[in-house]
Amino acid sequence: MSSATRLYLSNDTSARAAGAGLLADAWAARPDVQLIRLSSRGAFFLEPMVERDSPDGRVAWCNVQPEDLPSILAGTGGTPVRSIPFLANQTRFTCANFGETEPLALDEYQARGGLKGLEEAFRLTPDAIIEELRVSQLRGRGGAAFPVWNKWKVAQQAKGGPKYVVANADEGDAGTYCDRMILEGDPFRLLEGMLICARAIGASRGYVYCRQEYPAAAVTLRAAIQKADEAELLELDGEPFPIEVVQGAGSYVCGEETALLESLEGKRGVVRARPPYPAQAGLFGRPTIVSNVLTFATIPQILSRGGAWHASLGTEQSRGTIALQLGGRVKHPGLVEVPFGLSLRQVLEQFGGGMAPGSRFKAVQVGGPLGSLFPADGLDLPICYDAFAKAGAVLGHGGIVVYDHETDMVDLARHFMAFTADESCGKCTPCRIGSVRGREILERIQAGGGTVEDLTLLDDLGETMKLASLCALGGRAPYPVLTAIEHFPVEFRSKLRT
Amino acid sequence: MHEQVEKIHRQVRSEPPNILKTLLALQEQVGHVPVEAIPEIAHSLGTTTAHIAGVLSYYPDLRVAAPGRHIIRVCMGESCYANGCGRVLRALQDRLRTDVGETTSGGKFTLDTMSCAGNCAVSPTVLIDRDLYGRVLPSEVETMLERYR
Ligand SMILES: Cc1cc2nc3c(=O)[nH]c(=O)nc-3n(C[C@H](O)[C@H](O)[C@H](O)COP(=O)(O)O)c2cc1C
Ligand code: SF4
Ligand code: FES
Repeated sequence: MSSATRLYLSNDTSARAAGAGLLADAWAARPDVQLIRLSSRGAFFLEPMVERDSPDGRVAWCNVQPEDLPSILAGTGGTPVRSIPFLANQTRFTCANFGETEPLALDEYQARGGLKGLEEAFRLTPDAIIEELRVSQLRGRGGAAFPVWNKWKVAQQAKGGPKYVVANADEGDAGTYCDRMILEGDPFRLLEGMLICARAIGASRGYVYCRQEYPAAAVTLRAAIQKADEAELLELDGEPFPIEVVQGAGSYVCGEETALLESLEGKRGVVRARPPYPAQAGLFGRPTIVSNVLTFATIPQILSRGGAWHASLGTEQSRGTIALQLGGRVKHPGLVEVPFGLSLRQVLEQFGGGMAPGSRFKAVQVGGPLGSLFPADGLDLPICYDAFAKAGAVLGHGGIVVYDHETDMVDLARHFMAFTADESCGKCTPCRIGSVRGREILERIQAGGGTVEDLTLLDDLGETMKLASLCALGGRAPYPVLTAIEHFPVEFRSKLRT
Repeated sequence: MHEQVEKIHRQVRSEPPNILKTLLALQEQVGHVPVEAIPEIAHSLGTTTAHIAGVLSYYPDLRVAAPGRHIIRVCMGESCYANGCGRVLRALQDRLRTDVGETTSGGKFTLDTMSCAGNCAVSPTVLIDRDLYGRVLPSEVETMLERYR
């Protein structure tokens, strides 16, 4: 075995879907190959990627087929990883371990700076931890972008225990996959963030609510929890802090924090009226922090590097980095971590590499199925919370999906409304009735039976849903539909009955 | 069914009764949640049948009918939409002569949709049982299905 060459290959779900599994099968029995399965760098257009060590860092072979093995073993034709522009131009902090480490190797995690944040948290008082987060100006990455320190303060001061820490791993926005990559690829980072939170608010139990569509993530995370437990990490001040992985059951609205808590309790995942907020009365009525996976994963470095370090990145209202997830018809779909502030155009050109072969740009959607659509002349918007809010848009969880010239905007709008009608929890009327009516109107237009009044009706309906819905599912659902009509009116009008 | 409900009940008894967990565990073992099991589950969890039925009907992943031997799920999320999942779904419908939510006449395949597998950068995505396929072309549907003969 000593003559075997170490080859690094990702075991990430998407890398496998791109062909990494085939390579592993083809090479498993070879005595001259020692395969090390890592997380993925997130440059999915290059997967499957195979890497080797070299004196100047890793060298990569991209879009590898089984028959490429001889040249890899001979060391010919590879590209130094650091000269791949898609990766070299990123600013990776939260995603720094992707493609570098074995997901379940705690020693590697530690060797690359892991657990330093937790050590720091043990040196600090709970108040001082929360102060560090206040200085960092970290805002939640799950969609609502609420200041993290503020929520923690409320939970810390709330009376009555036990208190809970819940990681929202429902990642329901289609077009997003960063949480999945953390769960599958760097699970100790999530656990470290949850432990820091638990210490700050005095929680005694943790949960990770993981979407059912991520089976590999749940397996890796459970194994990571076991390893952390064996290493006696799941303890706070001498008390055990158990963390349990709980599976979802395919409901999008269960990503909304109060519906998620209902679902964790085993009930129908229906949205609760707020207040009280979960930080005051959450799981089983106890003070609970529900935060996104990426939020928790960002916290260890805020403690180890300091809140001021985090606040030095990004823009005035949006500090730190954002993990953008490119999908749809871009040439280079993949994960992009950059400081807030680049424009959509810069991201799509510099990282997205323009359009996929044969495609012409039509629109881009940011922020998942409830996010707004932007046409070609709307791409100069800087990617940060305030600019997006001003434009009536959201960053959501950082999903960016590009649609090409073949996209039928009327069908896409119908697709959005049908999604909302399917996923509405039914608690409030504007969303329950509005989404069904909206879908019917769009179906009518699509079938050629719509009139000008139908477009007015959609507009009115949309305004009502925006204003009167209890949660952001109904409140945001009109945005993709109304922005489609706003930017592509001709497509809608040409389908109307005259 | 009685034994399975009993067993699952013992497994989750240590915690507050959790309907969703119980139903998911039953589905894991049996493949679906038979409606006949509702009274028994209600009894063992100390709640009403309406309460159980309510949870059962709420979650898209809980099935009350036995699925085919293989479950095919086509992702309908936006990245897959942009990359032509509609054409892939149509190819599957044509090939299997079955509609979404239905099972082929021989009971071999159940065709379903899903909303995102987190495989958006390698889309469109088709999940067959536990095998995830990325960058699927409609023309590849035939060979993909052949593996499940
Ligand atoms: C319909 C709906 C779906 C949501 N889905 C998710 C989700 O999948 N993951 C997530 O982290 N937050 C989701 N959210 C946001 C959560 O309600 C909540 O704001 C978030 O988990 C808080 O974490 P953060 O402070 O780290 O952002 C959703 C919200 C709504 C209204
Ligand atoms: S807006 Fe829709 S999903 Fe949200 S509470 Fe109302 S009915 Fe439920
Ligand atoms: S949109 Fe289909 S895998 Fe995410």
